[in-house]
Amino acid sequence: MLALQLLVNGIVTGSALGVVAVSFALIYATTRVFHVAHAGVYTLGGYLAWSLMRHGVPAIAALLVAMAGCVVLGSLIQILLYARLERRGAAQLVVLIASLGALAVIQNLIAAIYSPDILNFSAAWAGQVVALPGGLRLTGAQIATVVLDFAAFGATLVFAHRTLLGKRIRAVASNPFLAEITRLEPRRVHVYVMAIASALVCLPGVLGPLDYGLQPYGGVTPLLTATIAMIAGGIGSLAGAFGLAVAIVVLQNLALLVMPGEWSIGVTFAIFVVFMLFRPRGLFAGK
Amino acid sequence: MDYLYSYLILAEIYVLLGLSTNLLVGVVGIFSVSQAAVFGVGAYIVGDCLLSGTLSFLPALALAAVACVLLNVLISLPSLRVSGDYFVVTSFGIQLLATATFTNWTWGTGGANGMPGVPPPDLFGASIESTRGILALTTMAMTLGCLAFWLILRAPFGRKLRAIREDELAVAAAGKGVLGAKVSAAAMAGAFAGVAGGLYATYLSFIDPSSFDLDASILLLTMVVVGGARTLWGSILGPFLLLALPQALTLLAIPTTYAATSRQLLYGGLLIAFALFRPQGLLGERL
Amino acid sequence: MSAYLEIAGVNHSFGGLQALNDCGFAIAEGGIACLVGPNGAGKTTIFNVITGFLRPDTGHVAFRGRPLDGLTPQAIVRAGIARSFQNLRLFADLTACDNVMLALPERAGETPFGALFRPFATARADRRRRGDALQLLDHVGLAARAADRVRNLSYGEQKLLTIARLLATGAELLLLDEPASGLASGALDQVMALLRRLRGEGKTLLVVEHNTRVVQQIADEVLFLHQGHLLAQGSPAQIIADPALAEIYFGGAL
Repeated sequence: MLALQLLVNGIVTGSALGVVAVSFALIYATTRVFHVAHAGVYTLGGYLAWSLMRHGVPAIAALLVAMAGCVVLGSLIQILLYARLERRGAAQLVVLIASLGALAVIQNLIAAIYSPDILNFSAAWAGQVVALPGGLRLTGAQIATVVLDFAAFGATLVFAHRTLLGKRIRAVASNPFLAEITRLEPRRVHVYVMAIASALVCLPGVLGPLDYGLQPYGGVTPLLTATIAMIAGGIGSLAGAFGLAVAIVVLQNLALLVMPGEWSIGVTFAIFVVFMLFRPRGLFAGK
Repeated sequence: MDYLYSYLILAEIYVLLGLSTNLLVGVVGIFSVSQAAVFGVGAYIVGDCLLSGTLSFLPALALAAVACVLLNVLISLPSLRVSGDYFVVTSFGIQLLATATFTNWTWGTGGANGMPGVPPPDLFGASIESTRGILALTTMAMTLGCLAFWLILRAPFGRKLRAIREDELAVAAAGKGVLGAKVSAAAMAGAFAGVAGGLYATYLSFIDPSSFDLDASILLLTMVVVGGARTLWGSILGPFLLLALPQALTLLAIPTTYAATSRQLLYGGLLIAFALFRPQGLLGERL
Repeated sequence: MSAYLEIAGVNHSFGGLQALNDCGFAIAEGGIACLVGPNGAGKTTIFNVITGFLRPDTGHVAFRGRPLDGLTPQAIVRAGIARSFQNLRLFADLTACDNVMLALPERAGETPFGALFRPFATARADRRRRGDALQLLDHVGLAARAADRVRNLSYGEQKLLTIARLLATGAELLLLDEPASGLASGALDQVMALLRRLRGEGKTLLVVEHNTRVVQQIADEVLFLHQGHLLAQGSPAQIIADPALAEIYFGGAL
């Protein structure tokens, strides 16, 4: 019984991490930047929504404004930081260092403005418990998470394969050199990708804390899990990233049956090590 | 006066850590945010040995060095196999896993409450209680560390490491092995961090996970980036400068709850600024 | 009697693309052999196979009768074959002299143990290396640029430096990937003269080259590769006179 509840909880949280993974994978496949500061964008989304909802703004409106805030932050990081470094021919290592610096700045600005400690983030509807057949219990926040995150994942797939911009992004991702000499304008596409991915990551960034509370430094562990899912799923496969994120979080949750929750980072990391040893290119790697 | 001694002792210990991080990040060119974890392992090993009385200071320090050599080699192994970006995941994962272990493995580390009462260092049966004595000890350790770093960098081994950072394939085409050199550099970096950990634990006599967390790793990275990669003077300047900065911040009368936040904010800002405008740091070579 | 360098039945494909297709040829000791063929003929791929950077799907490579299959690039350098890269792959942040010193076969001070515990012997060995490296730089005409960082060298100087680095390995068979491409005529003549001088010193050269004028001037023998397969082998005059080959080479048979 507990196992079933943990499995369902795993799918719920997994769908949230799946969206984090998909958004990260979108950036990584297109810009080739290992965007560590994405964890900061994720965190910002939650705090923005929290401050709006505290002042009585309806949840949907708060989510949309928070998304807009994330889009602005992500695009600024691309324009002011990554694009400049690329123009200067900076080494990959330097871009990573800059990204880590941006993460530290975002997290600590949030801590300075709000509080370094955990903030309780809740809404009446989010706390409501719905009893399902089989003794399963889901909170309003969990239902919203699973519905919205699966919808966001589906929408991303449709966008990537059916729309012109999506095709353009995939073209830039698959062959940056060709994109450079044709009229795909990779620089501009990179900004679009950062904007879209930042909006996407805002969704789990807002819904997750409704369950666990807000913390300025709370973005790092989800991002780490998401990057592991992306690698295990195979770089370039959005469905792989999403699927593996769900699988990893389900495993983490089931591991709770045999070990305390403090060690779930160990489970995640063990999965990564297994993939590195036996299938470093992931399950569904593209070309 | 005591205050100055304390600053000098800590700065000298951090020079060892700076050398360790510089070897990995500056010389070999691997991104690392887990050197604080290795530092912590060294500190806890020496703390445990001295508290339980199983070993005296020097053998405990040697044990810590050996353990950290093994650990650092193990951590760096993925970087020999997979691309640089994947190693970011390894590094973050190790750091978060280490923090979880330091915090939750109460039996070995005292958990979140830390490990109080670590005895002062002793040499050949005589306990070193005075601050001056400890300063002499850390000065000696730092000098040896600097000498080793200098000897390494000016030797053909150092030339090979610099070449590996630029182009592994070309090193192989020149008939030289790459793997052994990288493993050796990681081993040396581990030894430095282990010794630094032992000195830190015995000097402060109290250690807890907060000294060895992700923020501490970011501080080490900032020291290398600000001081400068691949030079001895850069590795010395970085720690002395960055440990003095928080004192400057206290002049701004920031409330103590926000002291850590403002420090980390500053480090993040420095990482971004140096990545953009001075990738060679103050006294180093281009990253 | 076995050939000096012998390649037999090498196949290799990347994904669906067959880069080498039953590729086989042999070259004799001494002299300059030029490997020609249209883009995508597999010239660089066969270099990668010979030097151990690529393990072929099937086929064998033997040097002086000794099989090289499965050896690492380092082991192959020690066996006496070294290669240059089309995109040079110099260490841009190191000096010209350091680039050459790195490739010298001497290994003293290349481990941390030697560097730390035998510092004086290491320093002595390094002075010796520096002397050797300077001689090699002088040999290619770069003695004056020894202390300059590679990123400050002209393209022509960088090309000469790749040859100095290649010579430093002590290898007897040198595989050069387009040593003359992108050079103005002055530098071009310098490189061609250097290659002839190396032949005179007993080195064997296998050179990938696109410029037919260069091929005519330096080659003792020409190997024509097409779609990963050796199509013809002969004197430069024979190959250039063959209208079928000219059609493939210039006629865009690709």
